[in-house]
Amino acid sequence: MFRACTQRLLSPLLGLLISLPGFAASSHQHHMPGMVMDATGMVMGGNSDQLPEDCQAISAEYEFTVLAGTRFAEPYAATAFGFDQHQWQVKPCSRITINFKNEDDVRHQWMLHGLPKYLYDRGMFHMEASGGFAQTGTFIVPSDNKTYLVHCDIAQHMEKGMKGQLIVGTGSGDLWSIPGVTADFQRERVSLDNGQKIGLLLSALLAALAGFITIKKFAKK
Amino acid sequence: MTRLYQVFILLFLLLIFAALTPWQWYPRDWRVWYADNFGASAFQEQAATIPAISSDNTEEACPPDIKGWRKAQTIAGIDVSASSNCLADNPHAVAAFVKGTNNVGHMTLMKSRLSPDAVVKGRDLDGDGDPDEIHIRLEVFELNGGSPDLNVPVTQYAIAPGVMPGLWVFAPKSAGMSTENFESLVAQPGLRLPSPAIRVEQGDKVIVTLENTHYMPHTIHFHGVDHPFQTASGEGNDGVPVMSEMPVMPGQQRSYEMQPRQAGTMFYHCHVEVQAHVLMGLNGMFVIEENRPNNWVQTFNIGDGFVRHSSVAVKEEYDREYDLHYQDLDKELGAKIQQTNDPRLVTQQIHREYDISQADFEYYTLNGRSFPYTAKDSLIVTAPNEKLKLRVLNGGSEGVAIHTHGHKVTISHYDGVEHPEPARITRDVVWVASAQRVDLELSTVDDGLHSYGEGVWLMHDHQERGVTTDGFGPGGNVSAIVYERFLQDDGWPMTFGMAWKNFLTPGFYQRQEDGSGVTALLPGVEASGPSSWRLFAMAILAGLFVGILISWILKGRSNV
Repeated sequence: MFRACTQRLLSPLLGLLISLPGFAASSHQHHMPGMVMDATGMVMGGNSDQLPEDCQAISAEYEFTVLAGTRFAEPYAATAFGFDQHQWQVKPCSRITINFKNEDDVRHQWMLHGLPKYLYDRGMFHMEASGGFAQTGTFIVPSDNKTYLVHCDIAQHMEKGMKGQLIVGTGSGDLWSIPGVTADFQRERVSLDNGQKIGLLLSALLAALAGFITIKKFAKK
Repeated sequence: MTRLYQVFILLFLLLIFAALTPWQWYPRDWRVWYADNFGASAFQEQAATIPAISSDNTEEACPPDIKGWRKAQTIAGIDVSASSNCLADNPHAVAAFVKGTNNVGHMTLMKSRLSPDAVVKGRDLDGDGDPDEIHIRLEVFELNGGSPDLNVPVTQYAIAPGVMPGLWVFAPKSAGMSTENFESLVAQPGLRLPSPAIRVEQGDKVIVTLENTHYMPHTIHFHGVDHPFQTASGEGNDGVPVMSEMPVMPGQQRSYEMQPRQAGTMFYHCHVEVQAHVLMGLNGMFVIEENRPNNWVQTFNIGDGFVRHSSVAVKEEYDREYDLHYQDLDKELGAKIQQTNDPRLVTQQIHREYDISQADFEYYTLNGRSFPYTAKDSLIVTAPNEKLKLRVLNGGSEGVAIHTHGHKVTISHYDGVEHPEPARITRDVVWVASAQRVDLELSTVDDGLHSYGEGVWLMHDHQERGVTTDGFGPGGNVSAIVYERFLQDDGWPMTFGMAWKNFLTPGFYQRQEDGSGVTALLPGVEASGPSSWRLFAMAILAGLFVGILISWILKGRSNV
C-alpha cells in the first residue's frame, strides 16, 4: 500500500523530471563493440565475457527463447502485443543468452534497462528483430538483487503489453502492468478489492449492532 | 413511538444513504441531470482575478544547434543544403533518404536512426543516372498516447507549448527507440506530425510497404498518385477496406505498388475509418518529381518544410522549395487515446463514439506545429529576387484560406496538374479545400505586386479560427515569409512588436474547463474512484438502517 502511494505521487514528478530538455540532449548513437546491425535487426550492448566488477565468476548460464508478436496478447485483456513469457528469473552474476524470435511482420524489441553503465552503453542491452526475423544476444548481470525492466520501445508496444521483468536473485520488487504478473498502475478501479469489501462489511455490521442495541435500550423505557 | 415516526427516521437514513452514494456509481444520465440542475458536485473557489501568465517558465525559443545540423554539408556524397530555420532536419537522414538507406555507411545510418531497409534504392532502369526501383517502408506511430503507469502522455510531441494532442503518424521505418533516449518521454526527431512528405521520380517502380506497428488496423490510399487498382499479384492496391482489400492488422504488413506516369503534388492517407484516422494525423504529401537525368530525389521530408535536396527539375526553375502541410485537429478526438489504455475501448471510442458531425476543431497546424513553434521550423526564408516553390497540401477537414502578407503568389498547379501559363491566377488569399493541393510560385521581386519588399511578413489561414490554438491567439498555423536580412543567426526571426515570451509558456494555451462536457461539470468524477470516507459512511448508514429496522421488527413482534 505504501509503495502504491509513493509510486502514485512520484510518477508524475518523475514524468516531469525526465521530460526536462536537459535530460534529452545526449541521444547520439555510437558505433561500439557488442553491436551488430543489419536489415534483420540489431543487438546492442552484447557482452559474453566481461565480468561486472562485483562478480568473481559466472555463477550460472541461462538460455531463454523469447517469442514476440500480436498472438501473445490473446491471453491478456486490454493488450495488443506481447511476449510468450513476461518474467524471467536468474541468479546474480549469471550469463544470459536470449534467442529473440519475432513472429510478427513488423519490428519488435527486447530491451533491458538498468545494467551498470561502465559495462553497458547507457545501461542497456537491446535486441531488435525485424518482422519474421530472430536475433541472439548475451549479457552478464551484476551481483545485486534487482528487478530489471524489459520492454519493446516502439511507441505504445510496452503500454499495450510488451513489458516484462528480469528478476535477478530475489529481485527488488515487481514492476507495474506486466501482463499476467502485476496490475496496471493507472487501471480504473471498477470494483473494490477484498480488503475494502471486508472493511466495509465489518463497519456495516458494527453499525447494525449499534443501531439494534440503541433502539432496544430506547424501546425499553 | 408512532409507526409514522419510525418510517420517517428510516426514510431519513435512506435519504442520507442516497446522498452519500458516490457519483461514479450513478448512471451517466443522472450525472448530467444533476449537473444541469444543481451545478458541479464540488465547490471550487475562483481566483479574485485571473492571474497573469507567468513567464518564469518561458521555454527556450531556439535551442543551440549542438549537432551542427543547420549548416550545408556533404554526407555520403550527397549535398545537403543549409537550413535557415532554427530546427533543421537531420542531415544524415536527408542523405540516407537521397542515396537510399541501403547505399549509405554504418555511421550515416546510425545517425539517421533509420532501419537499413527504410528506403531501398535499386537499379537504374532507364539508364539516366538515378535509381528507378524504390522500396519504401512506413511504420505507424502513436504520439502523445496513453500509458497504464504514467498520467502524462508518452512518446511526446508538442504542437505548441504544453499542447500534446493524441496523434497517429506514418514515419519511415526506424531503428531503435521511439523516444530520444531511455530517460526521455519525448519522441525522437524523426517521429512527428505531419506524416512526412514522400518524393519519388516520375516513372519510378515504387513499392510502399506498410508495416503496421500500431495497435489499430490501417491502410494507405495514394490519393491522386497514378496506381493500379490491384498489384501484379492481384492484391488490393487502393487502400480502401470496403472496396479493394482488408486492412493491415497490427503486426502485419502489406505492399502497395505503383509506377506513376504523371508528375505532381499528390496525397496519401489511411483509408480505415477515415473520419477519424485521417484527422488523427495519418495523412501526408506525396510528390512525384519530373523525370530528369541524375535526379536523386529526397524520398522523405521529415516534418515537411524546407526541402534540403530538391529535385533537378525544381532546381532548374526555383531557388528554394518548401512543403507546406496544413492540418486541423480535434482536441476531443486526440484525447480519446489518452483516456484509456485498453485498445478495445480506444477502438470503440474512436470508431463508434466519435461523431465528426458534432465535432469542432481546436488546433490548426502548419507542418505539424502551431505558432510560436512554427517559427522553429516552418518559416519561409528567402532573399530578394528569388523564385520559390511552395507545395501546399490541406490534410485537414476544413478548408484553409492562406494569406501571404506583403506578397501575391501565383498558382502554377492544382492537385498536381499544371495550370496553363496564360490562365494562371496571382492572388493573396489562396483557398485550399480538404485534400486539395496547390503549387504556388512565390516571387520576391520587389515590384509592388509579387512582393512589397523585404521584411518579416506574416503568412496564415485567414479564417480567423486558423490563427488560434484552442481558441487562443496568436496560435494556429501562423508562420511568416522572412527575408534573410530579418533573420537572426540562430534562425529566429527579428520581430519589432510584442515580446513572444508569453506565447512560449504552456500556461498561455491552457483553457480552463468551460462547462461544455460532463467531465467539466463534475470535476474529477470521471477520472477518479469514489473517496473512501464516503464508502465508509455509506456502510455505517446501511448498518444503522438494518440494525434499527430489525430492532423495531423484533419489538413489534414481541408487542403482539
